[in-house]
Amino acid sequence: MVRRWLRAGAFSAVVAAGLASPRPVQADAQADEYRVKAAFLYKFGSYIEWPSGSFASADSPVTIGVMGAEALAEELAQIVAGRNVNGRPVRVRRLRPGDPIAGLHVLFVGRADGGRLAEILAAARGQALLTVTESDEGLELGSMINFVVVEDKVRFDIAPPPSESSNVKISARLLGVARKVVSKSS
Amino acid sequence: MRWRLALVFNILFLASAAVGAQLMRVADLADMSIEELGNIQITSVSKHTERLSDAPAAIFVITGDDIHRSGATRLAEALRLAPNLEVARVSASSYAISARGFNNTIANKLLVLIDGRTVYTPLFSGVFWDAQDVMLEDVERIEVISGPGATLWGANAVNGVINVITRRASDTQGAFAYGQAGSLDRGAGARYGGAMGAAGAYRVYARFFDVFNTSRTNGASASDGWGKGQVGFRTDWGTATNALTLQGDAYRGSLDQAIGDDSSISGNNLLGRWNRDLAGWGQLQVQSYFEHTERDIPGTFAERLNIFDVEFQHGLRAIGAHRLTWGGGYRYGDDRVSNSAFLAFLPANRGMRWANVFAQDEIALLESLRVTLGAKFESNYYTGTEPLPSARLAWKPQPQSLVWGAVSRALRAPSRIDRDFFVTAGPTQLAGGPDFASEVVKVIELGYRDQPSPQATYSVSLFHNIYDRLRSVEPVSPTTSVLGNKMEGTADGLEAWGNYQAARNWRLSAGVFFLRQHLRPKPDSGDPNVSAAGNDPAHQWLLRSSFDLPNSTELDIRIRSVGALPNPSVPAYTAADIRIAWRLQRELELSVVFIDSGHVEFGNPATASEMSSGAYIKLKWNY
Repeated sequence: MVRRWLRAGAFSAVVAAGLASPRPVQADAQADEYRVKAAFLYKFGSYIEWPSGSFASADSPVTIGVMGAEALAEELAQIVAGRNVNGRPVRVRRLRPGDPIAGLHVLFVGRADGGRLAEILAAARGQALLTVTESDEGLELGSMINFVVVEDKVRFDIAPPPSESSNVKISARLLGVARKVVSKSS
Repeated sequence: MRWRLALVFNILFLASAAVGAQLMRVADLADMSIEELGNIQITSVSKHTERLSDAPAAIFVITGDDIHRSGATRLAEALRLAPNLEVARVSASSYAISARGFNNTIANKLLVLIDGRTVYTPLFSGVFWDAQDVMLEDVERIEVISGPGATLWGANAVNGVINVITRRASDTQGAFAYGQAGSLDRGAGARYGGAMGAAGAYRVYARFFDVFNTSRTNGASASDGWGKGQVGFRTDWGTATNALTLQGDAYRGSLDQAIGDDSSISGNNLLGRWNRDLAGWGQLQVQSYFEHTERDIPGTFAERLNIFDVEFQHGLRAIGAHRLTWGGGYRYGDDRVSNSAFLAFLPANRGMRWANVFAQDEIALLESLRVTLGAKFESNYYTGTEPLPSARLAWKPQPQSLVWGAVSRALRAPSRIDRDFFVTAGPTQLAGGPDFASEVVKVIELGYRDQPSPQATYSVSLFHNIYDRLRSVEPVSPTTSVLGNKMEGTADGLEAWGNYQAARNWRLSAGVFFLRQHLRPKPDSGDPNVSAAGNDPAHQWLLRSSFDLPNSTELDIRIRSVGALPNPSVPAYTAADIRIAWRLQRELELSVVFIDSGHVEFGNPATASEMSSGAYIKLKWNY
């Protein structure tokens, strides 16, 4: 019976794999929340200036870490395939809380890991890293960009980091698109 | 022959779902400008994370990280992390697991799903915990919902639902292996995950374990050791908006018996699930599975069970203040039992059908106030169609806090043990009741969840259950009894739990559960022993501390305390388990776990298993 079942399982896996090859179709004006957020996350890279030394060489990739948002990571991985940010290839890394964040250029922390946000953002502080969240207390806890959903549209607030040479710089154009810009004294 | 047909049908279904997946849209959003992106209308907020934090129900989530840090080696042990579950180990292989009371090795008021597959047996509406296991390292989370979940989940979700959710295949890429050896058990396992084309991923796994004999309180061996091996796979294709999952497992196990030959268990399953975002038309999920299980207890009983199940769920896009979800399902079970002189199910073979339709409307009365009205109509083989309604209210006075309340009616439909059962013990006989009806509960719940600071969260829930038509044993002659529905009663309880991030590297969790049950025979009942329904502590608590020490060292301490069980009387116990883990290299983790299990947890102490305390060493390799 087991053998018969395994055969049947392998057979249907092959059938399904043969039929499921993706075919791109024009996107319409409606989309899943995470597809929009993934697109934003990819786009942000073009409006960020990382300090010199963040990249090993001129063609080193921009690395985006995604924590606690599997759906977003998946969408993002599809988006960045074959695309560039400032002439650099883009890599997506799925992370779990506690994983090292060294080498990342962008870190997104989703709601699923929201309970540990304070801890994760504390570890990211002082690094040349753009932190992006989607939690009510995101900016308060130290993230730089926080997604909000307003009237079924994805918007974002920005808290630019203090302008020190070790920090990333957020371009004025991105600040202009933000719903609001929060200035921080610290 | 019929089962081969069912399997063929199942494969056809999966194939047609795959055709649907062909219509997948890959995002061209990335080519829009950042201003344009801000004007895209989104169809839905992410289903699950949103639902959990806002759900008007008592939900505790065991994360994969929690399981990792607990040192649990089997699914049933991992469930001890939920403060809203009663978990008692009865012998090396047997567990009594329940929520909100009625705990028993044949506890029957809890619905358990593994990746959407219902794992209760129609034999007694409970779970054979020795047969249900998963690769714990591949578990994303376990949602433990205490209280009735009948409207969404169906009959049997009387006092709770356990929802085991494994990671997507794309999340378990690469190679992983572990080996574990200790004084109580040993085991090993491996998994490998890879990509399948641009939008697909797979993993395959195998694991086995051996659990050593426990002993009686008088020191004699209980001869209850057991071992089990399991293999399985999972493949995921597509995106969050159009996903196809195909997965399956097969297992085989052997259980020592004190008298006679070893018992053997085996089983396999194949499940397909298709999630499709229909844009303006909402979201659709279709799922189907086939499962075969075997259990042989030489000299007592043997069972062959085939289950075929298909269901769909359609969540419509919000229309005004209304968000409607509806769906339906069909389940067919073919149960074949080999009877013995002691124990029989008559007729030996029974084909059973279940079908259901449900609808639920979530109404946003105000921005911070939602009402969810729902009803499920479920038909079962024995008692026909019965309604399972519920109403839930959720109020968010602040974004991070939630007040909720609910009233529900749930029921446990008869299983074969209630109707078809015959057991002979010496001169006395017990038989299933030909008129046995569904057990019913009406439940009122009230809860509060809050995140008073970014570091702290907590949840409190209160419940009042009114039971009717509970199972009783009615004497019809001095030597013969028949199962009836002549017990009733109430249960009141409180569940509370919280998390506190005391420091960047120190996390504390605590949970507590109080239960007060009043069960009584109805006036016309002759049952002398109402407490046979279950054996529950009046309270239990749990405390966990997770430290991240320097040099990649983890220290976890877990203390759990369970009050005395009344009948049969089992003394209260408090146990402390400790885990220390070192990351030797990036890919290699060594852990030592001390298990404080030197006590009786369930059963008559004179004959029950007294686990001894022990320890094990585990090596994990990740690549």
